[in-house]
Amino acid sequence: MSIRRLVSVLVKEYRHILREPRTLWMVFLSPAFVLIALSTIFASGSGRVDLALWDQDRTSLSRQFAATLSSDEDFSVGYASDYEEIEELLVEQSIDAAMIIPPGFADTVQSGDTALVQVILDGVDTFAAGQATGSLLGHAADFGLALSRQFALPSLPLQIRSQSAYLPDAAEQDSMVPGLIPIVFSLPVIAAASALAREHEAGSMEALITTPVRGLEYLGGKLIAYVTASLGGLLPVWVVATLLFGVPFRGSPLLLLVLTVDFLLASVGMALFLGNLVRSQQTATMLALFIFFVPGFFLTGMIDPIDTTDLVSTAFSYALPSTHFVTICRALFLKGTGLTGLWQPALALLVLSVLWVGLGSLTFKKRMR
Amino acid sequence: MRDTLHRIWGLVVKELLQLGRDKLLLTFVILGPVLELLLMGGLAGGGVENLPLAVVDLDRSRASRELITTLDQTDEFLVKAYGDSVAQAQEWMRNGEIGVIVAIPPGYSEALTDPQESAEVQVIADGSSYVVSTVAIATAENVATKITQDLTARHAVASGGPVELRFIARFNHLLDGQPNSITMMLGLIVYQVTLIIAAQRFTRERELGTLEQLRVTPLGRLELMAGKAIPTLLVGLVDCLLTTGLVVIWFDIPMRGSLPLLLLLTIPFVLVQIGWGTFISLISRTQQQAILFVFMLVMLEIACSGFMVPASDMPKTMRVLSSVSSVQHYLVIVRGLILRGAGLRSLWLPALALSGIAVAVTALAWLRLRLGLDTDSPKRRLQDMWYAWRRKQRQRQAGRRDGRPRGRGVRQPKLTREPAYADVRVEVRD
Repeated sequence: MSIRRLVSVLVKEYRHILREPRTLWMVFLSPAFVLIALSTIFASGSGRVDLALWDQDRTSLSRQFAATLSSDEDFSVGYASDYEEIEELLVEQSIDAAMIIPPGFADTVQSGDTALVQVILDGVDTFAAGQATGSLLGHAADFGLALSRQFALPSLPLQIRSQSAYLPDAAEQDSMVPGLIPIVFSLPVIAAASALAREHEAGSMEALITTPVRGLEYLGGKLIAYVTASLGGLLPVWVVATLLFGVPFRGSPLLLLVLTVDFLLASVGMALFLGNLVRSQQTATMLALFIFFVPGFFLTGMIDPIDTTDLVSTAFSYALPSTHFVTICRALFLKGTGLTGLWQPALALLVLSVLWVGLGSLTFKKRMR
Repeated sequence: MRDTLHRIWGLVVKELLQLGRDKLLLTFVILGPVLELLLMGGLAGGGVENLPLAVVDLDRSRASRELITTLDQTDEFLVKAYGDSVAQAQEWMRNGEIGVIVAIPPGYSEALTDPQESAEVQVIADGSSYVVSTVAIATAENVATKITQDLTARHAVASGGPVELRFIARFNHLLDGQPNSITMMLGLIVYQVTLIIAAQRFTRERELGTLEQLRVTPLGRLELMAGKAIPTLLVGLVDCLLTTGLVVIWFDIPMRGSLPLLLLLTIPFVLVQIGWGTFISLISRTQQQAILFVFMLVMLEIACSGFMVPASDMPKTMRVLSSVSSVQHYLVIVRGLILRGAGLRSLWLPALALSGIAVAVTALAWLRLRLGLDTDSPKRRLQDMWYAWRRKQRQRQAGRRDGRPRGRGVRQPKLTREPAYADVRVEVRD
């Protein structure tokens, strides 16, 4: 292990990165750019429910119910007049749900009984279906409350007062922007994987083999080059998150910096290990895509929580550096958690970085393939 | 025509041979999608389960304990801690030990049975994960409804409210999250594989220096594009068929629409990716650059695809972008076809949009190809045009109309008739 040789690999890598303006932009600025693109879609908050209403009752009370739905901002109400029409609207995806008010609705309510109203949901997107269910239930409860007052019925025994902590207006964007940060950092990480595969493909590995540089020095130089270069992208990302999208940052900036280094060591280490295994950049990209990018959306708990029912998939989730970094980013931005609350993911990232760099240097052979 | 077909065929064979030679890549084209779908299928859409819950019970009555038990019995919650104050529980939440707090106020049990009063229970969910907090609050609401129903049944007091909603979930009676997420994965897998393969068609040749060899063959531009496109199209269709088979057979999700229609509509989708891939590989100098461009595109497309947020819920600018995103239209088609059994009658709009995008993107790639295969050829082409224009200007000033190059500032006497040299034109094909 010689520091001098490591530094010369480092300098060489930096020349590679700095030489091409396009690569430079990709490594430093693209994370912030992609964060803007990905976060903008969450701006308008929770979705409206497109509802088709079929009023079989046609009384003043059922029309009153329909009118309260139309005036509610959560719904955009259209009308339907039979089951075939509802089915067609559902298949066309023009509505999320259909509500059928039965004949005799007004009579039932006025006699003090409970009137049953049928709702047909589009069950394909379960989260949207859940949101529609919640909005409709809330609306029916409000309407019921108004009716109870009107007809002097007794009040509901139990009410829930709910709030989302750290999200004052239930702003989805505030939760999603920090969750997306690990994903946007996959760009420079993938650049590292393909930079290694490139040496094999372009034949410059042959030239490297003839130099006295050792495996660990070579990998170390590459690792440090890409970790520091990617770290340069953190400031634009932070500026975009806090200034452009107005996400609060309640934690310590120093802790964010340290833990980002921790995360980048683990991911770049993993990328170098993978880039070392494959022969062409094309394959390296495929691997990186299958391992960093797509699972970043599905397995890291960014959208849906991590599935803990299956041991294999749980293990896979926790082996991904992004999973831990999602937790860290959200805790630092929104909750202001200190190191006492974050030592578990921080330690996990440290273990992962040692593991991947170790595996990388073990499998790295200065030999022709 | 026969020659054209012959030349395209030759290129297709060469591309397929190259694809077949990289065993690892071949594995990823065939095995990768299968493995990814199997892995993701097992876990994507994992709902909220056993979310750690902290109870702050200030009532300590039988009724409050009953509420806690009901909360604990749900799949979503697991009572993990009892706190003395909300502030204490909030500290636990800050450290990530618990995900939701339920605070029961003093006097809860009296308010519950008093017909004039409502008992109010406070629920605080950890909003740092939006989906989890939304689900947690909805679960708490459901528990409240259940307790209300139990109470009304037990005491035969007033009804559970004047209006009750009965829900039926069409296409997915049990509201299982898996079919939706797996079908979307199917679309995304076809997307990734075809785009990556297409994006490196030209860059790889440029890096290896074989692009120059290709330029001296009699292949025309369209022939070159077609020969490069056909293998990718084949890979895309095979992957679509493979993943659809897996979705239907392994995951037992019924295919309600027509398979030929799905394959037919996959063709314009793959053509869009081939167009984008060709364009990217022409503007990037190295494969590394091409890869990064691809990722930028993938991120934008996935953002617009309606996968995280439905297109109708996006802000206006993003909705415009998503209407030109091929992935968004393809996901609408795939989900409509497989899960809802939609036919061309209800899918004509996304199908038309997809074809339009395919034509536009292919035209873009073709235009870029017309400018030459080098990355800096557009710049050179512009320079050439600029020089030609300047030359013409100078000639006009000099009052001369033949194209003979002149030295700067050299005044020539006006010729009275055409000069007697042959007009030789050399055409260089790219």
